[in-house]
Amino acid sequence: MPQNQQKGRKTGKDPVETSVPAPLPLNSSLEVNLQEIGKRIGSSSDIVIRNFTNESLSSLSLTFIYIDGLVNADSVNQTVLQPLMENVTLKGDSITAEAAFSMIKDQMLPVGGVKEGKTLEVLLAMLFEGYTLILFEGLQVALAADTSGWEKRSINEPTSQGVIRGPKEGFTESLRTGTSMLRRRLKTTDLRIEEYKIGQRTQTGIAIIYLKGIASEQVLTEIRRRLDAINTDAILESNYIEEFIQDGGLTPFPTIQNTERPDAVAGGILEGQIGIIIDGTPFALLAPSTFFNFFQSSEDYYQRYDISSFLRLIRYGAFFVSMLLPALYIAVTTFHQEMLPTTLLISLAAQREGVPLPALAEALLMELTFDVLREAGVRMPRTIGPAISIVGALVLGQAAVQAGLVSAAMVIVVSFTAISNFVIPSLAIANSIRLIRFVMMFIAASLGLFGIMSFMMVLLIHMAGLRSFGVPYLSPVAPMIPRYLKDIFIRVPLWSMTMRPKTDLGKETRRQGPNQKPQPVEGANQPAPEQPKPQGEGPA
Amino acid sequence: MNTQRKALCLILCLPLLSALLSGCWDDRELNELGVTSGSAYDWENNEWKATYQVINPSSGASGMGGSGGGSTSSPPFVTFTVKGRTIMEAIERTNLTSTREMFFSHSRITVIGESLAKHGINQLIDMFLRKQDARETVYVFISKGEAGDILDQLMQLTKNQGSGIQLMIEQESRLLSYYPGTRLFELAMSLASESGSAVLPEILLTGPGIMDETSETGRTDLPSRLALGRLGVLKGEKFVGWLSQKQAFGLSFMTDNIETATIAFASQPRKSDKLDASFILQNSWTNVHPVWAKDHFIMDIDIKGSGVLTELGSVMDLNDRKAISEMEASLERQVLDLVNNSWTEVKKLGADVTGFAVRVHRSDRKRWKQIEKEKSWDSVFQEIEIRPHVSFQIERTGLSNKSFKSVQQE
Repeated sequence: MPQNQQKGRKTGKDPVETSVPAPLPLNSSLEVNLQEIGKRIGSSSDIVIRNFTNESLSSLSLTFIYIDGLVNADSVNQTVLQPLMENVTLKGDSITAEAAFSMIKDQMLPVGGVKEGKTLEVLLAMLFEGYTLILFEGLQVALAADTSGWEKRSINEPTSQGVIRGPKEGFTESLRTGTSMLRRRLKTTDLRIEEYKIGQRTQTGIAIIYLKGIASEQVLTEIRRRLDAINTDAILESNYIEEFIQDGGLTPFPTIQNTERPDAVAGGILEGQIGIIIDGTPFALLAPSTFFNFFQSSEDYYQRYDISSFLRLIRYGAFFVSMLLPALYIAVTTFHQEMLPTTLLISLAAQREGVPLPALAEALLMELTFDVLREAGVRMPRTIGPAISIVGALVLGQAAVQAGLVSAAMVIVVSFTAISNFVIPSLAIANSIRLIRFVMMFIAASLGLFGIMSFMMVLLIHMAGLRSFGVPYLSPVAPMIPRYLKDIFIRVPLWSMTMRPKTDLGKETRRQGPNQKPQPVEGANQPAPEQPKPQGEGPA
Repeated sequence: MNTQRKALCLILCLPLLSALLSGCWDDRELNELGVTSGSAYDWENNEWKATYQVINPSSGASGMGGSGGGSTSSPPFVTFTVKGRTIMEAIERTNLTSTREMFFSHSRITVIGESLAKHGINQLIDMFLRKQDARETVYVFISKGEAGDILDQLMQLTKNQGSGIQLMIEQESRLLSYYPGTRLFELAMSLASESGSAVLPEILLTGPGIMDETSETGRTDLPSRLALGRLGVLKGEKFVGWLSQKQAFGLSFMTDNIETATIAFASQPRKSDKLDASFILQNSWTNVHPVWAKDHFIMDIDIKGSGVLTELGSVMDLNDRKAISEMEASLERQVLDLVNNSWTEVKKLGADVTGFAVRVHRSDRKRWKQIEKEKSWDSVFQEIEIRPHVSFQIERTGLSNKSFKSVQQE
């Protein structure tokens, strides 16, 4: 049977090389079971196997197995070992294995999760989750008590997506912490959490979280289908999932958002998106995501709408600057000199006097330098971090200009481009335009503005054709749905966003009552002739 | 799916195709360009003589003064003078001597020498309208002597001489209104219009020498500066004569080219003709209306304006409404004189720079057709009688009422 399956896997198109054996039912002999377990998991030092026998050494023989570090030692001692070992009945000779099994299961384990396992695979899976296994001599069934408790990072402020105003907690690597954070934010019966185990070797827990009735069933089915279709041996971070399930493999644009912020996930879920939390990484995914989602920051909703709208417009501006500025500089200075004001032209020409490289090479050199610096800054140990800024700012900026290698204008262009790139709240889309920028530069150097415009058209057509789980990537701009534009380029006041935006095929539902614009009650300023009755039932 | 892929490939390939059409063959780095800021054309020995002013970027000619990294002693621009049987032949010959490719898109001015203006400028205009990087927005000037000399002159405060001259003419037409600056397309338009005449401001050197060494500009009072002078009149394509600044001013009133102007006038014309007061004309409208009177045209010229009194040298109390009315009448007479004086000269030159032909064409098409047929506009023009009506209003009298002289005498 196992051979058959292995053979089937090999001849089939399964690319994953795995050694997953067929489910093996427990033997009634404890000895055999222990041998089999030993064969499966080897003799790793963190596995604790402890035997328990009663006085006669015959009628009852139990074995506890747990993995040190995955279990909470106190909990194992107090909820499993202690009750069992101190129990008088168990110590007595008269007890049979069956009786002990039901007694332990029903009466003696003061823990929440107690499960039965009949095959070795089920038991081992639970063992790796931090359960304590209790195997019985003479029984083909074993117990597993949830004693899990491993070292976790405490909840910290998100490092990649900070806010000035707003919640300061971020997801941690623990799946359960993540789901609990969302539960705390969405105290509704509609919240659904579905769990998957993906990755044959890692068995990574993955939870999809959505609001029933708001998330689109179509999208849900699609996400479930794609998650089920993943056949890989390891999921170590949310990007593994992202790459396996996102649409359009050949696109520089991300179609799934990732975030460290539980409030951002909650906000997305409330608008019909589906959250995916992956065990082992603080980055959760949100799908489906349109292009414009990447420009919305959760802080947009935590500050006044006027400043949020302004900042959002700046982000779109920064997006274009970051993508186009070096290309425009190259195009204008090598093809379209007549477009510059004379004074600027002359001062640029003066700076270019004596610069040995053509504009494209100059721009490429500086852009690559910046990317090297940035990468170095990420990888470098904290303690030598300041060295980066000295090398970057002084040596590569000022000195390069003074040495006549690059023009000062180019340094300004490159630094402004770099700064603009950081304005975009989502690193995913910021990274995608980092690459587009280089393509743009080459096109600008060969075709000028004409080339830039052509490539922009190509990008636009490409984006208009993209879909994220069936949702057009540019919606609600293309296809244009004017009434959903309230939260795209600007953010209107919260009280006027009465309907849920339908960008994601979810149901368009009312999310708050109408006419909530705060305004004084009519006639409130005039002295009231009599005390107005409070509406509703107040305390008498 | 497959068809989608194909379509995507096709779309992605389209811009690649365009690479065959255009490409980096025509790219020019900034340090390969000789940015010309002005050009001048003369006619000498039956040949075109063109002078180009090429900005020297490293001298900091951006107008910022000093910065830019180059030595300050190097001139802000250099000039090339070339000759050829055609203009383009002359231009291309620049490449025999210049290290940089001429780049005309940033030209601001063009100076036409009197010699060329007498020869005819049609070919020059054609070149400007035809050539891709030539700008028809350049301001055109005429110079009495050799036009090329003008471009050699260094300017103070502005290093880029071409744009400096542009600033001068723009400022003049905005604040002084003696004559408007003429851009090349305007020149072409008025030469091609019914009147077939145009005016060009004169640019001249106030002194005998040409200040063309950077060391010479280190003085506060240059012995020789660039200045705007008279107004040259072109008819057909040729130069026919000059209008003085005063006559040009009158012409500006007739052609509605007044932006702001300062007029000196006699405040008490009954007592003395002395021009002892100034008035800034802030708004002015001119309406020209041709009327056929049996055998000739009468041009009704309505000039209306309003402005502020800025200077008063006589004994006067402006609280008195009568005094102001008197001054307004004096002003009107002053402008009437300007207009009549200008008209006499224009008539003498026989060039319809007033644009009356256009007015006649618009208001009386039948008669215009006849004139066109008979080609008799020149004689009709000589018969024209003008009837200027001026109505000015002193809207404000400044911060004081009585003139200082009257305060003192009290």
